[in-house]
Amino acid sequence: MTGSSGQAEKKGRSKVRLPFDSLILCLAVVLAWQAVTYFGDVPAYLLPPPSAIAERIYSDFGLLLSHSLVTAKEVLIGFLLSIVISVPLAAILAQFPLVERMLYPLLVASQTVPKVAIAPLLVVWFGFGLFPKILIAFLICFFPILVDSLVGFRSMPKEIAWLARSTGASRWKVFLHFQVPAALPNIFAGVKVASTLAIVGAIVGEFVAADSGLGYQLIVANGSLDVTLSFSILIVLSVMGMLLFALVDLAERLALPWHVSQRS
Amino acid sequence: MEPALDFSAVNKTFTTSSGPVKALDDVSFSIAEGEFLAVLGPSGCGKSTLLSLAAGLERPTSGGVKTAGRVIDRAVTDIGIVFQTDALLDWRSVLQNVMIQPQMRGLRTSEYEGKARELLELVGLAGFEEKYPYELSGGMRQRVSICRALVHNPSLLLMDEPFGALDALTREQMVMELHHIWLRTHKSVMFVTHDIQEAVLLAQRVLVMTPRPGRIAEIIEVDLPLQRTPDIMESEKFTQKVAHIRHLFEAHGVLKKY
Repeated sequence: MTGSSGQAEKKGRSKVRLPFDSLILCLAVVLAWQAVTYFGDVPAYLLPPPSAIAERIYSDFGLLLSHSLVTAKEVLIGFLLSIVISVPLAAILAQFPLVERMLYPLLVASQTVPKVAIAPLLVVWFGFGLFPKILIAFLICFFPILVDSLVGFRSMPKEIAWLARSTGASRWKVFLHFQVPAALPNIFAGVKVASTLAIVGAIVGEFVAADSGLGYQLIVANGSLDVTLSFSILIVLSVMGMLLFALVDLAERLALPWHVSQRS
Repeated sequence: MEPALDFSAVNKTFTTSSGPVKALDDVSFSIAEGEFLAVLGPSGCGKSTLLSLAAGLERPTSGGVKTAGRVIDRAVTDIGIVFQTDALLDWRSVLQNVMIQPQMRGLRTSEYEGKARELLELVGLAGFEEKYPYELSGGMRQRVSICRALVHNPSLLLMDEPFGALDALTREQMVMELHHIWLRTHKSVMFVTHDIQEAVLLAQRVLVMTPRPGRIAEIIEVDLPLQRTPDIMESEKFTQKVAHIRHLFEAHGVLKKY
């Protein structure tokens, strides 16, 4: 492909705008929180002040980190697995309407079973190790990616489909040059939703049965009424979630500089 | 020489949930090599059906459609299509949008890149090659789509209300640009429109259609000079043709008489 080299690089990337507005709001909430706990005589076992949480994260950093790594591993493997399986499956379903008509209702039906509810069953089947947590994270991510990707793979306007046919190109070439790029915005939308769900899946798995991970640590902290540790874990979890989301967002920016949501 | 496109006694009936709908009724016409034919009619007269038949995306219920003497039995590849929506690929630069044709056709892209750049220059888009569609105006986007329809040098150009979505001024500009492209390339063109003036200004013959089912009301020779200018629209001959077509539409109840 001549002329395509360097085209992406040449395109000036829009400056990444830091969300200052939300940072200010965040800071205000933290300050208000601190003030309420300080002046309102709120006992620390109900609502610890942010300063205590920060202190705790600092002092227990090693503990939190080791548990974070366990959870992060489950999240990442489950999440990546769901991408690797859902996207190609959506691509196949989009090519063969008959297969889609047969499989899609089953997939929807399978989604009506709450994943949280089958977590204990998965533990019974697959034990206490890494696998059931990965599986729950995978199951929870699977559907949003599949549905969004399927919409994406079918989003090609009639005119573009005509154009593709008039070139006489093979189905594979049409898929590669028309369907896949057209589907990418939807695929990323699904992956973004899934990136936040993956952590829920892993935590649920750890709640049911685990001897490590942030979900396990949360249960332990709650059991001993160590609310400061609970809050510390929640903070770490949300940071982990934000990081994963930001990673997907960055990938989207790099892959789809042309995409509508990037224009403004 | 075989006509670039030939319809003979074509009928097309679609089956819908509310019964069969006849879209085309006994349509016969042909487009000579290098001729610019405008298909003029209100919505629902089967213009788009004509186009999909010519592109080989649909088969006639009865009758025959031929291109260059060959019966069309599959998607025709020796054509360029321009739609009302520009149908550009958002993820490709302007140049890459034009280059999709040689790429998909397995042609040597190195040979066609010069042609693509030349065409873009011809329509005034030199310097925009690396821009993305969202950075262009509606008129510019449609110009890119015209280049894309021409780059592989097809024998037949199919245009489906290509300027229908543009504002009036851009539209007038684009009409003249298209005319000049046609003068230079002398492609056979089937130009579908619902604008009487546009049809008369551009075409050598105007095929006037009436709706439900789509029938040919009349095929009108436009005996104006080969090279047209906007001024020609004030000439008596031009206004006569336009008036004739309007009366035709009135007679068929497409336009109301006042």
